[in-house]
Amino acid sequence: MFAAAIFIISVGYMFSESREAVRNEAISHATEVLNSTALRVNNILENVEIATRNIDWLVGRHLDAPDSMFVYSRRILVNNPYLDGCSIAFEPYYFKEKGQYFSAFSLNENGTITTVQEGSNMYQYFYMDWYLLPRMMNKPVWTEPFNDYNPESIASSQTITSYTKPLTDKNGDIVGVISVDLALEWLSQTISSVKPYPNSYSIMLGRSGTFFVHPDSTMRSKQTIFTETMEKPNPKLTALGKAMLAGEEGMMELKMDGRDSYVFYKPLGNTGWSTAIVCPESDIFGGYNRLLNVVIILIIIGLLLMLLAFSRIFTHMLQPLSQLAKQAETIASGKFDENLPVTDRIDEIGKLSNSFRYMQTSLVNYIDELTRTTANKERIEGELRIAHDIQMGMIPRIFPAFPERDDIDIYASMTPAKEVGGDLYDFFIQNDKLYYCIGDVSGKGIPASLFMAVTRNLFRVVAQQELPPAEIARQINDTLSEDNDQGMFVTMFIGVINLKTGQMSYCNCGHNPPVIEGEFMQMEANVPMGLFTGFEFTDESIDNVENKMILLYTDGLNEAENEEHEQYGDDRLLAYMQQHANTAKTTINDLLESVAQHVAGAEPSDDLTMLCFKLHPIAN
Amino acid sequence: MRNISAAKDSVARITPEGGELRPFVFTPQWTPQAQFAGYYVAKELGFYHEAGLDVTIEHPNATYSAISRIRNSESDATTLQLVQALEIIDNGIPMVNTLQTSMNNGMALVSRNNENPLTQHGARVGIWSAGFDQIPICMNIKEELGYKWIRIASNINPFLVGAVDIICVMTYNEYNLLKQAGIELNDENTFKFKDSDYNIQEDGVYMKRDNYLQHQKEAEAFAQASRKGWEWSKAHKEEALEIVMQYVAKENIATNRVIQRLMLEEIIHLQLDQKTGEQPFTLRRDMVESAVNILHENGLIQHEIDYEELIP
Repeated sequence: MFAAAIFIISVGYMFSESREAVRNEAISHATEVLNSTALRVNNILENVEIATRNIDWLVGRHLDAPDSMFVYSRRILVNNPYLDGCSIAFEPYYFKEKGQYFSAFSLNENGTITTVQEGSNMYQYFYMDWYLLPRMMNKPVWTEPFNDYNPESIASSQTITSYTKPLTDKNGDIVGVISVDLALEWLSQTISSVKPYPNSYSIMLGRSGTFFVHPDSTMRSKQTIFTETMEKPNPKLTALGKAMLAGEEGMMELKMDGRDSYVFYKPLGNTGWSTAIVCPESDIFGGYNRLLNVVIILIIIGLLLMLLAFSRIFTHMLQPLSQLAKQAETIASGKFDENLPVTDRIDEIGKLSNSFRYMQTSLVNYIDELTRTTANKERIEGELRIAHDIQMGMIPRIFPAFPERDDIDIYASMTPAKEVGGDLYDFFIQNDKLYYCIGDVSGKGIPASLFMAVTRNLFRVVAQQELPPAEIARQINDTLSEDNDQGMFVTMFIGVINLKTGQMSYCNCGHNPPVIEGEFMQMEANVPMGLFTGFEFTDESIDNVENKMILLYTDGLNEAENEEHEQYGDDRLLAYMQQHANTAKTTINDLLESVAQHVAGAEPSDDLTMLCFKLHPIAN
Repeated sequence: MRNISAAKDSVARITPEGGELRPFVFTPQWTPQAQFAGYYVAKELGFYHEAGLDVTIEHPNATYSAISRIRNSESDATTLQLVQALEIIDNGIPMVNTLQTSMNNGMALVSRNNENPLTQHGARVGIWSAGFDQIPICMNIKEELGYKWIRIASNINPFLVGAVDIICVMTYNEYNLLKQAGIELNDENTFKFKDSDYNIQEDGVYMKRDNYLQHQKEAEAFAQASRKGWEWSKAHKEEALEIVMQYVAKENIATNRVIQRLMLEEIIHLQLDQKTGEQPFTLRRDMVESAVNILHENGLIQHEIDYEELIP
């Protein structure tokens, strides 16, 4: 489209410029022809004027000898054989002996010159144009072409025009007229002979606008340039006529004989006539128009072919593209197994097509992958949830734990950071002794939970043998240290309370010191379990823990971080325990809330486990 | 355009009882032109035949004028202007008017200078050498216009060149030739006699009185058929024009269809009574008396001619 537009614009410009050039050339050519024609006509007219002047001088000097007029009127024809006739005519009774009419007339008929006195009652020349006009105007005049007729004497058989001059005597009074006749044929031949273009023609208008030269003989002498405008107004033609009759020179573009034409016009000498050349546009632009038409047809055909070719190429190109686009939409809507067409094209469309198929395959595989992974993940999540329940099932969760007893107030909570955690606690009463523990496996998540499960079961099994805490610790440690390629360990605090006496024995294995009555317990740190086989743990003891609030916890409590990674802190923990310790349950729940406030929505970095108990005063 | 021969055929050719057609020679005032359309139509459409006449139309030429033919009894009837007829009668040849066609004066004065011609006192006024000058001459004297009369040939060249300031024209002829030469004619530069006190009717068919008395039947028949020809021309202008053009072409007259059409329209227009718009074909007593007065006052005729002298 763009290429076509550029092409058309350039060709259009070239054509309009060359049309201008053709037009200017034609104007120049026709004007030259017209000028040379006018020159030749003016030449002829001038010759007549000169011949007349010569005789006029002679006549003026011999106004006393009327018969010499016959000689002179003959002589001018002899000297100028192209002239048709000559009259030397006088005012009525100028020569009294000659009577009212005296006009010496010579006529040249094919070389034979005849001289007569032409005036009579039947040829009263005084009112004829050739006598009247120069006499009235007192200057030389060219008459309108006319046909002379003298019923009693000779006259020219041709259409003639006369150059007429007043004859004056010594005093300057008009005594008569000398009239020299030229056959119109001389002028019309000169005017019509040159045709700048095959269909151009020449016209000549008289003073009345009458066509005296015209290719159509039915118009000659019968019509003027204005005749047709009297019934069908034609402003352009009227303007042309007026310009020509005003003696103007120029060019007009208008319709002549129904054809668009250029008319070049120029006045002729002193006659008051005008001549013009009519050049039909079709002549001037004939060759150009033919060329233009051919080129236009070629352009149209060319553009159509181009259009056809391009539309086929585009269809060939675009059709697979639009197909691919549709199929992309289908795939995007979820139908992954839509069959993409195989193509054997090696061009860009082919590559695109192949890329598409490759992409579709990848997509399908990826989706499959994703589906499987999601299924897996869901399965794992499901298993984790079960694991969570199992893990929770391992620790005493029902409170009050010992509803039939009123000597111990005990509460605990465990909140793993993930579905399953590495913290544990456990407690049970056997033979009026409360065995308890709290522990924190290294790491988090499934590995820690598995280790936790093992640890907890070991505690249960070993502690139920009613061994002292250090011994429990030792056995658990030895078992855990075996086959521990992963290097996992668990910190733990184990204790036993004699519910009858109030005495508590305990053993710390690298765990956080519990809080008793708002103060950290003093004890040996020892080591976490699982690392050193055969480590000798030691027992410690408090004589009486009656009415003393004891809190065991994992570092998920004091190290609980908020968004700014500020820890809850030991100080705050102690402060809290000093002020708020009430019942074991409220203590733990309030602590949980306090921690929650501190953490303020940040992700828990560690499992948080707490075990709180208070031995009621023993009744004696 | 209607087929003229079809028009001719549509007119039933009735030969009168007795079967023979009486000869009659008619010479109009001038060479063939639309001014005489009615007569050409009457001949071509057989109105003269119907009336029992075999009419020959002989046009005048430069050697033999229409009035000469009448004087020499070579023609039976001709067309004359009323004032011409009065002059001829005054000169001793009694003429009788058998059909009056013109009801209005067709002359006009046209000025070169875009002035009212009547205001150009002392102007050079071109007038035909062939005559038809009676009314302008009288008006000039009566209104004291001081015109200098220049006799010119029957064309418009002296006017175009400027040899005269004013030209006398016929509204059906030279008036249109002026327009055809690109001259603008308007109320400023044109004075029409029919719009003045000098509206004297013009063309009519005239015969020598003695010839009329000898061939009264033919004369009447000719007048009636001619009248019919004019009435038909008014109703069928294009067809009448076509007939005129045939006569024009035969004599190779230097004119054209546009000019002839304009002439026909104006001639018929001048045949209408200004009040009723009809063709009365009447020689009006008041116009005759007016013409006689004007001519007599200004010495163009010697006798005061009576209306009755003109009518059969």
